[in-house]
Amino acid sequence: MNANRIWVIAFAGLIGTVQGQQSLESSYRTTGNAVVAAFEAQRQVLQHSSAVILDGRKETGYGVVISADGYILTKASELPKSGDLAVTVDQTNYHEVKVFAEDLVWDVALLKIDSKDLIPVDYAPTSDVLQGTWVVANGVTSRTTRRLLAGIVSAKSREIPASGGAALGVILKVKSKVPQVEAVQQKSGAEEAGLQKDDVILSVDGKRIEKVTELNDALKDGKVGNLVHLLLRRKGEEVSVDVRLAARAELFTDQMDRNDQMSGDFSTRRSGFPRVLQHDILGSRTVQGGPLLDLDGRCIGMNIARANRSESFAIPVEELKGLAERLMKQAKP
Amino acid sequence: MSWMVGSLRGLIGSMDGFLAQHTRDVKVGNGSDYFASGCIHELHEISNARSLQSQQIMRHTRIISLLLSLGCWGMAANERLAVNDHKAPENRQDLEMIQNAVRTSLPKARAATVCIEIKGGSGSGVIVSPDGLVLTAAHVATGVKQKVTVVLEDGKRLKAETLGLVADRDAAMVRITEKGTYPFVEIDREASTQLGDWVFALGHSGGFDQERGSVVRLGRLVRIADSTFQSDCMVIGGDSGGPLFNLAGNLIAIHSRVGAQMQVNMHVPTAVFMDYWDKMLAAEFIGEGPYAERPVKGNGFLGLATDARPKGGLSVTKVGHGSPAEVAGIRERDVLLKLNQVQLETREQMQDLLKEMSAGDEIILETERGGKPKTFTFNLGER
Repeated sequence: MNANRIWVIAFAGLIGTVQGQQSLESSYRTTGNAVVAAFEAQRQVLQHSSAVILDGRKETGYGVVISADGYILTKASELPKSGDLAVTVDQTNYHEVKVFAEDLVWDVALLKIDSKDLIPVDYAPTSDVLQGTWVVANGVTSRTTRRLLAGIVSAKSREIPASGGAALGVILKVKSKVPQVEAVQQKSGAEEAGLQKDDVILSVDGKRIEKVTELNDALKDGKVGNLVHLLLRRKGEEVSVDVRLAARAELFTDQMDRNDQMSGDFSTRRSGFPRVLQHDILGSRTVQGGPLLDLDGRCIGMNIARANRSESFAIPVEELKGLAERLMKQAKP
Repeated sequence: MSWMVGSLRGLIGSMDGFLAQHTRDVKVGNGSDYFASGCIHELHEISNARSLQSQQIMRHTRIISLLLSLGCWGMAANERLAVNDHKAPENRQDLEMIQNAVRTSLPKARAATVCIEIKGGSGSGVIVSPDGLVLTAAHVATGVKQKVTVVLEDGKRLKAETLGLVADRDAAMVRITEKGTYPFVEIDREASTQLGDWVFALGHSGGFDQERGSVVRLGRLVRIADSTFQSDCMVIGGDSGGPLFNLAGNLIAIHSRVGAQMQVNMHVPTAVFMDYWDKMLAAEFIGEGPYAERPVKGNGFLGLATDARPKGGLSVTKVGHGSPAEVAGIRERDVLLKLNQVQLETREQMQDLLKEMSAGDEIILETERGGKPKTFTFNLGER
């Protein structure tokens, strides 16, 4: 995602009625009921092996059921912060939800509900399928029934580097030669680590920093979700903290580019993933976290971001299985 | 045999600028030069011949093999998958039919889909002939005879030039100017497309990304009007000018514009390109806006003040802040020697040269700085 370039596109001017035009009823469009009905077998899988994540009664995302005894993976950054977290699997509502380990790199959280007889997803043997292969994911749900959206695998699987590079989430003083904090960005790693105005950054991961450019160099190859160790000078004393890195463009979101403007409700965290499977399902930020299924109803990945109007990302099944094992180990050592 | 003849007759009957182009390609492949004018005649001979001499047999074998390949090609263009005639996919078999068609058509379609870089922006396009003719949108080309760069899927960068465009239909042509044989796709010249057909879009969404490649999206044709197709393949900035294909992998339209709603994606049907084919090939600027503006002579902006020097050339006395000249790197006291290869002598002469140019035109300034020659190539801004 090169932010520096200008993309050519025309916005539609008049899309009014034109004489002699034919139009397809909405039910027969790709997201329409008649088309979606052909995927009833896959919908059944979503009904029992995907979880609806709720903030009170409002849906905030979906989850992948990974064990009969109630473990569920979901997108961490879309979890409700309010404490009114609830989960629905099939038609059962669960209000006791524990949030276990989180993986900050993949933006995945492990949840646990009290159940003994869930039906976990069946993992597909590989995510290495041809482009054009059908995939199915959760669409907006009704209270008891999962609905689905279908699309195809649409580009090469690859790393999505941090948009704008990795950053701490601080604004530095312009006049200072050494990197000195002017302000701390909300919801950033810097805020979580308690960085303060006037802190001077002395070193990053043991490497001495004397100029602002050296700080940029030290962070340049950082990965989203990783921690960096900072040595700070605060009011004459040295303080050391660990700061979570995030994508610069996702921390400082005041400028939406033109493509963002035509992308509707995209995910806030949509870059900095080690590898993704790309598909073209028309999702939004509130339908991420659930399983991505193939025509056999097997889980080929987990939906992790609606990046923009034309790109949706899933964690490929290979990485998803590793992630599930790792987080389960952390949950019950 | 009869269907072959039929499809061939249809082909000849509707031959226009484009088909002539394509037919020539076939000829080159066969190494002979008589095909376009002689084929109907030859067919007649084949059907009436009772006894043929060996030399003639050889000759006709060659023709037949040529026709066979043409026949298959004609069939591919006509092929309509049964699933397109179902209002919605009815079962897994229908879904697999769509999936298999996209998977099969994709490699060829992808190889012909290109990124077009122009003036700091980028769009997409699609190659439709082996010698490098590219179809794109007028708002990507922006004007006629503009220098652009075409980037192939494998990252290979090629010099290219815009040909003609239709400003009120958002259609344009580009020609790759480097000699070569390029991967290309067939145009659906039967105009076989119907409402509800399954289609797929390709394009370099958000610009060229080699790791990712161009992005494919599946959808249906949801609205058909005279000069516009609407699909629910979601396209975005950078896709403009890219191709929309039917399931057989034939080009049916070019991406043009979108609505705020995700399902509103507009494409220019290839029929529009057919209507204006020869004029576009001749690099004509056709129609008026809104997708491209006709160049206005004398509205180009350079942003320099100069004084003539007794020794020849013009000395730069001032460079406008933020002007195209400043952005290009020209400084005060640089000496301008030539503008687009014309020797510079007086201020008035340079102004006259600029009056003949328009915003966006390329300017090549040959200069001297501290006795060393330096050449600047950039585009004029708009006054």
